[in-house]
Amino acid sequence: MQKLSVLGTLASASIRSELQYRANAVSSIIGGILFQITGFVVVWIIAARFGQIGGWGLPELTFLYGMRLTSHGIFYACFSQMFEFDRVLITGEFDRYLVRPMPPLIQLFTRKLRINAFGDLIGGTVLVIAASTAAPVDWSPLAVTYLILAMIGGGLVEGAVQITLGSLSFRFLQTLPLRSTVNEVFNLYGNYPNTIFPGALRWSLTFLLPIAFVAFFPASVLLNRAGELSVPLWLAAASPLVGMVLFSIAVRVWKWQSVHYQSSGN
Amino acid sequence: MNIAMHYGAWREIARSRIRVQYMYRFAVILHFLLAAVTIYLLTVVWRSAYGDSTEVDGIPLKLMLVYLTIGNLQSKFLRPEIGYDIVDRIRQGQIGFDISRPVSYPSQLVATEAGLMLGMAPMLILVLPVAGFLGELAPPASWEAGIGYAASFLIAWLIAVELSMIIGLVAFWTLEMTGFMMVYNLVGSFATGALVPLWFMPDLLRQFVQLLPFQSIVYIPVSIYIGIPATGHIATALLLQCFWAVVLVGVIAIVWKRAMIRTVIQGG
Repeated sequence: MQKLSVLGTLASASIRSELQYRANAVSSIIGGILFQITGFVVVWIIAARFGQIGGWGLPELTFLYGMRLTSHGIFYACFSQMFEFDRVLITGEFDRYLVRPMPPLIQLFTRKLRINAFGDLIGGTVLVIAASTAAPVDWSPLAVTYLILAMIGGGLVEGAVQITLGSLSFRFLQTLPLRSTVNEVFNLYGNYPNTIFPGALRWSLTFLLPIAFVAFFPASVLLNRAGELSVPLWLAAASPLVGMVLFSIAVRVWKWQSVHYQSSGN
Repeated sequence: MNIAMHYGAWREIARSRIRVQYMYRFAVILHFLLAAVTIYLLTVVWRSAYGDSTEVDGIPLKLMLVYLTIGNLQSKFLRPEIGYDIVDRIRQGQIGFDISRPVSYPSQLVATEAGLMLGMAPMLILVLPVAGFLGELAPPASWEAGIGYAASFLIAWLIAVELSMIIGLVAFWTLEMTGFMMVYNLVGSFATGALVPLWFMPDLLRQFVQLLPFQSIVYIPVSIYIGIPATGHIATALLLQCFWAVVLVGVIAIVWKRAMIRTVIQGG
């Protein structure tokens, strides 16, 4: 309980420190939105001209894109500091985390807030809402709850992958290029229906890199398209749960790898 | 004599940058491999969009895939770094040394960028088979298209360098560029036509993009390569590029002059 209140204090401190630079904060958020708009414009142009991608129409594609983007925003708002982790290790900043009475991973996450995450959150929410009437979803309180849980779960899936790969930095010091590339693959491949890929790749993007669980599976469930999937319905529907499970495994892996930490000296 | 001396300086600047790229060769290869990942995705997406039709709006699927493959490699290749360089040097005050050299600063920048590109070329060639495997490669549509592409590529390079330089020089006034640079990169990456060729854009968007210089960087050269030149003829497409190259030289001259006045006021 006390840990939670410390977590709250740390998180709000990092938010307040970002908001001190107001002009920068606003331009970062706008930059974040613009960044995602370019990706969406590609989907929009193709869907408008050709009518479909992988059998999905524009409203459905927009819905998928919005869900993925919101998940990414949640991931980025909570775990963006994974992208600074290598530097934290190399500069010896990690030593400080070890002597404080708080799990080091939480200290890492609350280290700084990347404000452009709000660009993703705003952009993603707008797309989901914009698509919500045109997309064939049977809206009910249950569906809305599932949507929210699924987007949180998607953020946790991305977090789990980054934390697992990041834990390798305890041994190899630098894994950022690898993780940036993986993040890029999530950002590119996660926005399209997984069914457009050939079989082996579809499988890899489900079980090797769990990109399909971020948005494609839950979106298929909500859009009543689960019949097209190559996995059973229960597995696709369990995406939010998959996020939580993968995340707790990732935290364990991280702890297990952290015994290999060798301080660079301070 | 002056030119000869300058030429020597430019050559040395370019040479040092080639060495820098060689030192970062793995980062450069990764940069191009990421382009290959994008190319593969675009290939799958456009294949799916074409569905059963082999041709849409007179554009066969195969040509479309060749366009995307070459266009995206080219767009990663023509991404000048001097914009960032200029900002760094202004903020750290090193710009004073750059300006006081006998060779003009803009020409140093062009030499820098030439070196960086030449240094990247071997890595690009290494990645080419991968990109061809994931996307689609084909020789130019005809020998005219090949020659036209070579010429167009050189002008595209010049325009990319000029644009990057203009963005960088704005830092003489603003000092902080990251937000602006990000917007420029994004709008630029779309308006070059690397992700969606101009012929598939909705009319209003296409008309807007045609008013910008960015289409000269990817769309015009690659459309010449595949034999469907922008503006209908290779010659007029090249002329349009030349027009922008010259206009941008003018803009740089004006911005540079004003930047120099400003630097003196600051006390250098």
